[in-house]
Amino acid sequence: MPSAIFTIGRSGLTASRRSLELTAQNIANAENVNYSRRTLTQGELVMTGSIGTIAQDSLGGVRPGAIERAESMLVQRQARDASSALSAAEAEFFALREAESAIETSGVFTGLVDFEASLTRLQNNPLEPALRLSAVESARKLAGNFRIANATLVNARNLVQAEASAEALTVNERAQELAEINADLVGAREGTAGRAALLDARDKALRGLAEEFGISPTINADGTADVMLSGTPPVALVTGAVASSVSVTFAADGTAAFAVGGATFTPTGGAMAGRASALAEMAGLQTGLDALAVSAITLSNSAQANGVDANGAPGGPLFSGTGAGTINVVLASADGLATAPAGAAAGSRDTANLAALIAALAAPTGPTSGADALLLGLSSKVSALETRAQGLSVVAASAEAELLRETGVDLDTEAANLVRLQQAFEANSRVIQVASTLFDTILGLR
Amino acid sequence: MGSITNSTGSFFNRSLSQMSDLRGQIERTRTQIATGSKFERGSQDPAAAAQLRSVARREAFSRVEGDNAARVGQDLGAAADELESVTALLQRARELTLQAASTPTGPDGRRAIAIELEQLGQELFSRANATSLTGEPLFAGQSSGPAFIRDALGNVTYAGTPQSGAIPIAQGTAIERGLPGNEVFQFDVNGSPSSAFAVLGALTTALQGGAADPVAAANAAIEGIDAALDTANRATTIIGTRMAWTEQVQQQQGERNIALAERRSRLGDTDIADAVARLQQTLTALEASQSAFARVSSLTLFDALR
Repeated sequence: MPSAIFTIGRSGLTASRRSLELTAQNIANAENVNYSRRTLTQGELVMTGSIGTIAQDSLGGVRPGAIERAESMLVQRQARDASSALSAAEAEFFALREAESAIETSGVFTGLVDFEASLTRLQNNPLEPALRLSAVESARKLAGNFRIANATLVNARNLVQAEASAEALTVNERAQELAEINADLVGAREGTAGRAALLDARDKALRGLAEEFGISPTINADGTADVMLSGTPPVALVTGAVASSVSVTFAADGTAAFAVGGATFTPTGGAMAGRASALAEMAGLQTGLDALAVSAITLSNSAQANGVDANGAPGGPLFSGTGAGTINVVLASADGLATAPAGAAAGSRDTANLAALIAALAAPTGPTSGADALLLGLSSKVSALETRAQGLSVVAASAEAELLRETGVDLDTEAANLVRLQQAFEANSRVIQVASTLFDTILGLR
Repeated sequence: MGSITNSTGSFFNRSLSQMSDLRGQIERTRTQIATGSKFERGSQDPAAAAQLRSVARREAFSRVEGDNAARVGQDLGAAADELESVTALLQRARELTLQAASTPTGPDGRRAIAIELEQLGQELFSRANATSLTGEPLFAGQSSGPAFIRDALGNVTYAGTPQSGAIPIAQGTAIERGLPGNEVFQFDVNGSPSSAFAVLGALTTALQGGAADPVAAANAAIEGIDAALDTANRATTIIGTRMAWTEQVQQQQGERNIALAERRSRLGDTDIADAVARLQQTLTALEASQSAFARVSSLTLFDALR
């Protein structure tokens, strides 16, 4: 009889010790974001034997059950989707903000205005060498500003492309990792600490993937996750223990194209979609910037061709080049500025041709208005993206908070558990002590 | 166990993000105060940035137009000075001509008058070829060479262009920088074209003994000198009007510059009083939030358990 009390007390001790271990584990992982808190299920152990109609129960104490991992598919999914959307908006915002600074601080607009202003000043005395020189130098500055804008835009684009290439490698690693976790999960026994750790790793891999691509995972009954990348068309990245490989390639205009296992697709979420959209936007910016440079080149050179220079000779081209990257001043000397209309004598102070150039530059179709419109469009876009990213970060933060509430560790609860389990442990030891006393009492019968 | 807990990690995340938001705001306000401008990137306020660009462009032009206006004012002033002397000179020539036309003035007197008239003719020629402060001819229109040329026979012809170029001195306003010499020194007498040089030259020759009847020649010359005076007076009036116009435009420019500067300041400059008040407010919020965080985060059950 006392032996049953021993067994019961021992089972209680085991159960509280294992619960204490789990509590310690929870506390140790309180700051681990990928950890989902664990609890130990317990079951009563009763043995019933019956012979004929006589049944006899024998109490066996408590049986420590499975290690349960707090999880909530829905909240996990919300957190993943929110972080996908946030990553997309942030990636696009950071990339375009870079492009904005590139075009704004390189001073294309200021260069154009200074060029116009120096031409206007030249009208005051078209033959004064200092004014002519300053007009040519402001043209040189304009060309330089265009080249700087071009170079910084190219640089911004290269950064985004390098990031996309590097992150594609990370995605492939994570997909491979997830495939291996899937393989391990199939063999892991239900209710073990090992399985719970694998599930943690699975959710971590899914969250990592969701940052880069919008994903729609399917969680199977055995805990494995198959991952489809959202996009047009949706493509399978991980199926069971098999992971496909993502690749990204860049077209001549810098836009990105994605393929999974050879099948091309356009991603619709995650940082990669944001980068792809930023690269497309940058290609448009490059076209716009080149068009501005070409407009400045064409207007200036055709004005030069329409007039005569200080010596009465027909004006030569002011700029060379075919875009923002190649624009340069080719006029050899400031005397070569064709301020006077064709047919004017050498040394004419007639500024009709110069006035025509100034009017063309300042026209609503001219490069100055174009630069203003380009900057306004870009900064409005960046501003909208910033607002969107801010909004989404609130959504993502609340989804994250929700997830932590569902699965995270609450130190107060764990502290209370510690006290409770310690008491349970002491109570069970007390039971064994009582059993021992009982046994001694029986042995001591004389 | 499906209970919902207040995760410790969630509390720390939330507090950290709130405090870093406040810190970001403080940093932004501090930058606004330090740089004096409301925003560093256009995307912080696209509409205001676009307006600032157009104000900056207008200001750049305004500076140049101001310089142009000052320059036109100088050129017109120089031309007006020359014209004043020309008028005085022609009046003296008229007095001399009247003296020569009066019979009591004998041949010797007329010769003396002829010598003075010749000098006046020289002066008139050099004044007609006068240059501005920077060396450009005042009365040659758009040409950079001398306005009038005297050939071997002493005939003076106009070598400039019939128009003088206009200079933009304000938005939509261009003023001609002077008057071409043909409008100042050339005119018609009795339907035939003549010039101040031709009238004075012919009279000088006549008085030096080139004419049988110098008195009649002098009488005939008075009409030409009157025409020359009329033309010079008209030119003075035109130049004077343009000078007044330029001055008016310059005054308007000054007022417009102030308006532009005000506009720029309203659009892009930091309102220091407002920024400092906001900074103080945010600092207070941050300090309160930090001390609240410190107190709440130490409230764990572990501290109570000994």
